[in-house]
Amino acid sequence: MPDPSTSAPASAADAESALEQLEAISADFRGGVILDSAGKVLAATGEHETWQVAGSALFEAADQAAGDAVSHVHVGTEDGEVFAVRQNDFALVAAADRFALAGLMLFDIRAALRELRRGGVGARVSATESKAAAA
Amino acid sequence: MPPKPHRVLMDRVTGYADEASAYLRRRRLTRKPFSRVFVSGGRISACEAETDEGRALFLAAADVLDAAR
Repeated sequence: MPDPSTSAPASAADAESALEQLEAISADFRGGVILDSAGKVLAATGEHETWQVAGSALFEAADQAAGDAVSHVHVGTEDGEVFAVRQNDFALVAAADRFALAGLMLFDIRAALRELRRGGVGARVSATESKAAAA
Repeated sequence: MPPKPHRVLMDRVTGYADEASAYLRRRRLTRKPFSRVFVSGGRISACEAETDEGRALFLAAADVLDAAR
């Protein structure tokens, strides 16, 4: 039987929660977007349409540059740094301050996506409650 | 007459701080824009801004940074 804590579908609220968590734990995070497998915005720190275009274009350009589907991207410019990670069925694109520590940013982004995959805090609480009720 | 011990210590700390700030300044000045793309198999490639693919990637990254403003 699959574990409900790992198979719950993620909602927009879960994605927003994951993004808020990333914002809270990462000092260099400026803003970002979480996209689903179809490229639809689940949550963003700004206008959804702008972030959808920017996020999708980044992955498209990275895929073209690599000649394959990329797992993650790191671009450093004079204005700041951009990180993008594809993990499971989600993708997160984040803008960060210049000289952000790449390893730390990628770790935080992956943690946020892992949290989202589990269905966020709400799904974990309901899974715990259902386990307790079954016991 | 030899300098007072605390002055020697302060001079040394000041010297280290100067070295550190100069290192950080050099790092900031010499660091050029870069991009790295990672593919699932473990392949990593760096895209130069002079290539078409690299230019497209840097433009897309600039749009992301604009969206975050």
